[in-house]
Amino acid sequence: MTLPFRVTVLSAAALLGAVVSAPAQEVTFAITAREVGTPSYNPITATRLNSANSLIYDRLVLQDADQSFHPSLAASWDQTPDGMQWTFKLRPGVKFHDGEPFNAKVIEWWVPKFAGTENADTVAKVDRVEVVDDLTVRFHMKAPDPNLLFNLASSFMGIPSPKAYEALGDKYGVTAAVGTGPFKMEKFTVGQQTVLVRNDDFTWGSDLSVNRGPAKIKKITVREIPEDSTAFLELQTGGVDLLYTVPVDFMPRLKAEKSVKVMTIPGTEIVYMPINTQSAPFTDIKVRAAAAYAIDQKSIWQSLYGGVGNTANGFLISSLQEAKVDPKFAISYDPERSKKLLDEAGWKVGPDGIRAKDGARLQVKLWTSNGTEFKRLVEVVQSQLKAVGFAADITIFDASTINAQYKKKTEHQLAVRSYSWTNADIIDWFFAARRAGYPNVSLFDDPKAEELNVTAMTKSRTWDERVANFKAYHEYILSQYAFAPIYEPANVFAYSTRRLKLPETIRGTRLTSQTILDAQVSN
Amino acid sequence: MLGYFVRRLIMLLPVFLAMSAIVFLIVHLVPGDPIDHMLQIGASAERRQELAAKFGLDRPLVVQYALWLKAALTGDLGEAIILKQPVVDLILANLPYSLALGLSALLFSTVVGVSVGAAAAYFAGSWFDRVVMAGILMGSMLPSFWLGLLMILIFAVELGLFPVSGARSWDALVLPVLTVGIGGVALIARVTRAAFVEVAQQDFVTLLHAKGLTRRRIFFRHLVRHALMPVVTILGLKVGWILGGAVTVEYVFARPGLGSLLITSLGQRDYPVVQGCLLMLGMGVMLGTLVGDLAQAAMDPRVRDRMS
Amino acid sequence: MAIGTALLSAARTPRGAPAAIVLVGVVFAAIFADRLAPYAYDMQSLMQANLPPSAAHLLGTDEFGRDLFSRILHGARISLGVAVTSIGASVALGLVFGAIAGYAGGWADRLLMAVVDLTWAFPEILIALVLIAILGPGLGSTAVAITVGYMAQFARLARAQIIALKGETYIEATVGLGAGHAHILLRHLVPNALTPVLVAGMLATGDAIVLEATLGYFGLGAQPPLPSWGAMMSAGVGQMFLAPWVIVFPGLAIAITVVAINLYGDALIDALQIRNRLREG
Repeated sequence: MTLPFRVTVLSAAALLGAVVSAPAQEVTFAITAREVGTPSYNPITATRLNSANSLIYDRLVLQDADQSFHPSLAASWDQTPDGMQWTFKLRPGVKFHDGEPFNAKVIEWWVPKFAGTENADTVAKVDRVEVVDDLTVRFHMKAPDPNLLFNLASSFMGIPSPKAYEALGDKYGVTAAVGTGPFKMEKFTVGQQTVLVRNDDFTWGSDLSVNRGPAKIKKITVREIPEDSTAFLELQTGGVDLLYTVPVDFMPRLKAEKSVKVMTIPGTEIVYMPINTQSAPFTDIKVRAAAAYAIDQKSIWQSLYGGVGNTANGFLISSLQEAKVDPKFAISYDPERSKKLLDEAGWKVGPDGIRAKDGARLQVKLWTSNGTEFKRLVEVVQSQLKAVGFAADITIFDASTINAQYKKKTEHQLAVRSYSWTNADIIDWFFAARRAGYPNVSLFDDPKAEELNVTAMTKSRTWDERVANFKAYHEYILSQYAFAPIYEPANVFAYSTRRLKLPETIRGTRLTSQTILDAQVSN
Repeated sequence: MLGYFVRRLIMLLPVFLAMSAIVFLIVHLVPGDPIDHMLQIGASAERRQELAAKFGLDRPLVVQYALWLKAALTGDLGEAIILKQPVVDLILANLPYSLALGLSALLFSTVVGVSVGAAAAYFAGSWFDRVVMAGILMGSMLPSFWLGLLMILIFAVELGLFPVSGARSWDALVLPVLTVGIGGVALIARVTRAAFVEVAQQDFVTLLHAKGLTRRRIFFRHLVRHALMPVVTILGLKVGWILGGAVTVEYVFARPGLGSLLITSLGQRDYPVVQGCLLMLGMGVMLGTLVGDLAQAAMDPRVRDRMS
Repeated sequence: MAIGTALLSAARTPRGAPAAIVLVGVVFAAIFADRLAPYAYDMQSLMQANLPPSAAHLLGTDEFGRDLFSRILHGARISLGVAVTSIGASVALGLVFGAIAGYAGGWADRLLMAVVDLTWAFPEILIALVLIAILGPGLGSTAVAITVGYMAQFARLARAQIIALKGETYIEATVGLGAGHAHILLRHLVPNALTPVLVAGMLATGDAIVLEATLGYFGLGAQPPLPSWGAMMSAGVGQMFLAPWVIVFPGLAIAITVVAINLYGDALIDALQIRNRLREG
């Protein structure tokens, strides 16, 4: 670069820097990697929502980190002993961002809206909604649903303004999103950023926040940054004040930064390796078990994730009661058992360490989808499989392609993937025979499992019954080696202490509006 | 001259048709479809069909193509399936960012490339020539994602001079421009240097020397004009590079632009957006080539004669 | 000048000599990677992750404790292999298209060149990203993407050579003597047009290495644990603060190789005196 040019650039930059330095009470958050490119803020029809969604919408109920339920837009609730009626008292004085009132009529409109959408399952057991009075609704159930409160607390249950929703049709959530939350959506540019401004009328904070009134932050820009390392550097240099997810690679560096605080809350995600039970050699349960016991959860947790989060030994996150299975079903690293099982199945070690049977090598396919974390993990998994005699060929697909490939049902064998969910019904999602291909990537179809599935999904009347039923279902899936558990990540986020002060304890299952309500801004 | 221009424009029409057909076909060859992104995992086949019908994706490809082409000819590129906005609006929203990055990078690489190339030619064969040209070559040969990250580390993190990423203020443009531009600097410097050296060997220059003109005067008065011709041609060919070639840099710096729009939409199989972007880029390049040729014609009477 | 003699004389110029030495070294590393490498390229040792360069590991280790030196040697094989194969295919295709178009002229020429120009219209990276989306990621589709991405320039160059040669008197004489089209094309035109196209191909090999690296950055090139230089750099991005050597050394390997290719190619162009012919495309 020629010198004069450089000088001009520098002085112009200095000038601009002085002009655009952020005014007080305006902050920038960043979402990265998997949240980038979320196309809409329509909670009813969306298949995925980003972290900013909770700032715009409130839900009837909130769930805390200890899995307990707390009032939000519903002030209280009550169910009949047979589980066939739920009555919700709504909080008075709540208004949408467009000035429309929030009342029983809204709920009567809202629940049927889910019919035919991708999120229909959440309220599928609600037969009809009865308006008792202006602030009281009663759900009449088709069948008892011990999971109703959990569903109502999920991120897809943010309640939109009926007027805006009907007026915008297909474009709702893209050009505008109107809720009752502490922030209003000012502008959304997909893949780039969402600008949120404070809802000054907000006075209906839940008991998960100290502050029940309007937020202290005036304006939040939520930027989308696809590349992890770029996002990390933005936080380090003050371009971004809060990073919703911090890749574990960067944790040591961030912890060394004095002005950055890294917070870890219990995770909602499980990383695992589904095994296609209908593709030889994995039709043999011994080969499946051998693959499962070859995974060294502990060394992955220590070396790849620096001891953050937990090792996984089952399919469910550890905070769920259904995760506490009988130890004999838990799957953890046992290379000797793995080798012995392969010997028994007739796979003998060849000269290059790869096993073979009747002249065929133990060559298998190992897939994953694009994303730094999976790319790293899949290499370690491959090496661990090799140690017991599997030769695994890796292919990395983009997310669209990999799902299309799974649906073909015959192409895949092993994969490294993850899910994020905080309820045991995820086992039904990934292992029910009727969903074979995708999401049942394991193509698991077993009569006993189907029986346990029906019991857990439809025959549970109370929460405790449901826990027992799902635990039995979970244990059976483990005993069939339809997958290998790998890792349970923690939710790690980080913020700049120069600009923000967050409460010491994070309430709720994720970093959502109740925490941001209590956030203080400094300059 | 005008006749030539009109003829060239008419020749673009079949190119447009062929390009639109290929773009359409290629986009639909990519496995997966936008419906996958609108459905919750494990949705029923009926639901899929219902949505496919809604967006006309259940019709034969030929019909879909004909409908799209018909609309495209009137300037309507359709409505994005996932992003739910007119494709033209999406392109227009991203175009300024691409143009800002592309044109600044072009300006930067032209100014620096021509200066460096000319200086190297002036001192042809000296150590200055060799060191500078080798250095630039090396810089241009580094993969741009790597160079971009390095720039961020040095200028944004260590020195704190520029923002790490984004496009919220104008100084955020500097590092991406340097990253994209350095490839152009090397190319233009090499072309310029070669052109200068070559022109300097031509008879008329020997004549000027014989007439007793100083080397400096010959260089600045006579060589520059002749040597810039190939540079102009190169610039005409670089329109695609301006509009869509910066995909990697946009990704590293989390910048909006046609490249990122294209990549995001390709990932979500948002057909109308991908088709629209590719068609835009392709036609942009065709027009750029045409403009480059015309500019060359305007500067060089020999070319002009050949055209009439 | 015969191309063999030119190769040698280019290697004796001040610019060509160091470049030639580097290139011979890289090719040597690529061919004998398994003998030269002190460790297997996929041997992991998680307890020894991200070690700085030392006597045991000349260039340090990566995030899985694999020896970087061994991986760079094997990477030479893959990066060079992919680049050379795909550019080879690209040159061959370009020659066929260009020769036919240039020789036949008329509508065949226009049609063929229109097809070729369609790929010329898009930046190589976009062509590659779209093609790999169709074919699925991997070394094979990377090679196809590079082949298609660069073909236009060879086709244009070959066509220009053929058109220029067609007008030469000796060709017209051969036609007069009643030689067939195939004979003229294959015996007289293509051999004479070959040199500039091959040299252009050699120069493009450098670009192809960089393109492969960029595709590797998007996770689309060589699939792990195969160590192409691009894939190594892409994996190293996450480690660049903790263990800069993980990303610096493969980057240097790319830069040095590509610069050597360009310098040597430049020297070769001078030795063959074909600078003007190269520009005709």
